[in-house]
Amino acid sequence: MRTISRTDRSRDAVRCTTMTESGPYNYSYIFKYIIIGDMGVGKSCLLHQFTEKKFMSDCPHTIGVEFGTRIIEVAGQKIKLQIWDTAGQERFRAVTRSYYRGAAGALMVYDVTRRSTYNHLSSWLTDARNLTNPNTVIFLIGNKSDLEAQREVPYEEAKQFADENGLMFLECSAKTGDRVEDAFLETARKIYQNIQDGNLDLNAAESGVQHKPQTQNTLLGNIQDKKESCNC
Amino acid sequence: METLLEDFISDEDLKTCEKLYNDELRRGIRNPKTKFDYAWCLIRSRYPADTRKGVLFMEDLFKNGDESARRDYVYYLAFGKCKLKEYSSANRYIKAFLEIEPSNRQAKELQEVIQKRITREGLAGAAIAGGIVAVVVGTAFALLKK
Repeated sequence: MRTISRTDRSRDAVRCTTMTESGPYNYSYIFKYIIIGDMGVGKSCLLHQFTEKKFMSDCPHTIGVEFGTRIIEVAGQKIKLQIWDTAGQERFRAVTRSYYRGAAGALMVYDVTRRSTYNHLSSWLTDARNLTNPNTVIFLIGNKSDLEAQREVPYEEAKQFADENGLMFLECSAKTGDRVEDAFLETARKIYQNIQDGNLDLNAAESGVQHKPQTQNTLLGNIQDKKESCNC
Repeated sequence: METLLEDFISDEDLKTCEKLYNDELRRGIRNPKTKFDYAWCLIRSRYPADTRKGVLFMEDLFKNGDESARRDYVYYLAFGKCKLKEYSSANRYIKAFLEIEPSNRQAKELQEVIQKRITREGLAGAAIAGGIVAVVVGTAFALLKK
């Protein structure tokens, strides 16, 4: 009996922390993103640059997955991005695949200074197409654009690959921060447009989009009441 | 990190991993990679019994698995123990990990969560102990009055 009440309390505590950190439902949508691509292309650095606006110079290989969030605004709507950053090492591939399901956006990253990471894109794209839904927005990102002297993949070549496969595309630098925001925001704009056009079924669990309707306000009141009473 | 700890694998994905592992086992294949995949899926399960089994698998992998994947095993041992609310052993594992990779952000985040929970549990424990002391003292006083 005691165990049960303790669990309840810790759950409330978690909820309270969330409330104080991000404010109560100050967004109307949640979009789920995944970041995929070979190891060492800078997936975690992109996420960190986007969520913390900082560059991590010493970035070890990700173990399994990492998670980050940020609230952005598209067409006057606040949207919370929930971003799952997957490990690029081959040994994690089988398990990271389980994170693809229900992603509204997939950021597929390669390193412009390493051709091998570009050559593997078709394999990443196959996974992304097979494991997400047909409306998932796939955005191709060429990272490390600041290292122009070491470039191995020309912009035009990647652009053509993107066009042929119906992907959005840009080059950016997690180091300087150049165009990093654009990659995340343009993906969100495209998803939002899909919602407006009626291409996305918000009721489907696989859509990767959650709508927080106005009625949340009543729920919000309840949660705030709880906040007063919980000991955290 | 809290999100990762509360993110559960779907039954379907867990079954797929389980099947792969059992199929290999039946054919006498001992592949640390398949075992790791299955162990990770088990740790991510919503059921503590699965998580416990996953932790046992990781412990075995740590002893007999792939040498180059040891950091992953240790990290997931800490992660699994944290999910099981066995915070002191979770803390031991994450400390061991951070001795080798002191600047690993993922591990530092996990350690923060573990230590926060240890403090919280400690406070709850102290409150319960405090309550017991109060009752005992109260009863003793009541008895003395008689």
